[in-house]
Amino acid sequence: MKMIYFETMEGTTINIVNTIGDLFGVEAEDGQKVYELVRKAFENDHKVILSFVNIEMLTTAFLNTAIGQLYKDYSESYIKEHLQVTDMSDSGKVALKRVVDTAKLFYSDPDALERSINDLLD
Amino acid sequence: MNRLFSVNNTFTSYQNLISFYNSHKDKEFDEIRLELDVFFAANMSAALGAILDKFSENLNDVIFDYIHSQIEQILLKNDFLTYYGRERIEDTNRTTIKYQRLKPTDGKYFKRYVIEELIDGHSYDLPPMSSGVKEKIVEAIYEIFVNAQFHSNTEDIYTCGQFFPNKNKIEFTIVDTGVGFKQKILERFGKHLAADRAIEWAVQDKNTTKQVTGGLGLAVLREFINMNKGRMQIISRDGFYQYDNDGVMTKMFNGEFPGTIVNLQFCTDDSNNYSLTGEIDENDIF
Repeated sequence: MKMIYFETMEGTTINIVNTIGDLFGVEAEDGQKVYELVRKAFENDHKVILSFVNIEMLTTAFLNTAIGQLYKDYSESYIKEHLQVTDMSDSGKVALKRVVDTAKLFYSDPDALERSINDLLD
Repeated sequence: MNRLFSVNNTFTSYQNLISFYNSHKDKEFDEIRLELDVFFAANMSAALGAILDKFSENLNDVIFDYIHSQIEQILLKNDFLTYYGRERIEDTNRTTIKYQRLKPTDGKYFKRYVIEELIDGHSYDLPPMSSGVKEKIVEAIYEIFVNAQFHSNTEDIYTCGQFFPNKNKIEFTIVDTGVGFKQKILERFGKHLAADRAIEWAVQDKNTTKQVTGGLGLAVLREFINMNKGRMQIISRDGFYQYDNDGVMTKMFNGEFPGTIVNLQFCTDDSNNYSLTGEIDENDIF
């Protein structure tokens, strides 16, 4: 009998509001708290569900530190398999998608930014 | 140079502020006298406050010799002059956004300030805005605040703003006295860019001087400014960058501002619906 993998994954739920003690996920420092919890779970090979329930505001700075920098430590396929978000607003999802796409590029080509500076100097 | 007149959000006005700073920056244990005449855009209090604090750090006395009565009224209402020993007066028209000097660690306090000054405090007197505009404005302001917190190595962050109900506009200014864009690029990449080119590079999507992923805040802000038909100005050291419906304008100043000014103009009669941002499947993000 074939096993079917359902997209609703079981895992540790991290409540963002509770983690940062705020309805605004705006500061990079708060994002770092979330990042450290996710890393702890990943180190133990646990899947993580990030719950954005009751979050009213997000910045890219927060999402970069909370989630974007995971791409420094883990592969795209590992993150895809181990991380899920819930209760995120549409605009939050748009911002997160952008953060994730940027992070993938940043960590896949660390010298790209230096080249862009050199291009300006040429 | 001690007389600042017709200070508005223009290149010339920023140049005048920079010249004022540069003519006194080396003084210590001295008196620095100042006149404000004709006009003074309230949001520019943030830039002036940063400059005057630089003088105070050198133990100079700052003395206002003359302030035009209309300017004085505004600067008493927006709390600027309370930092110089004057008694505040109530802003019955509620068009000011208070002048504040904050520490980079005052994020929670800044949140209260933004909510009080931009959201709750003006829920009745602001023109009705289309869905999501107010949230986008607050989000934009936050992106700039967190930039100042972490990029500039500043000790203080200065903020101030002003509502213009008849023009359907909000001006909001955030100032830091940190190292500025060109120095950050030099520290990170070891490359010398002129200040205006350094700003231009930093506002491009995905460009960052951080060692970790980032570089979206200013790009996101610029896209919103474009949709909103607003204007963003960045003054960093001797560089000037402006983005609005007419496109990008960059220039160099004669002399340096001791940090970075980000001045944002938002239109409150924006009919775009920012709640409709397109659907993204939660399973398709990573």
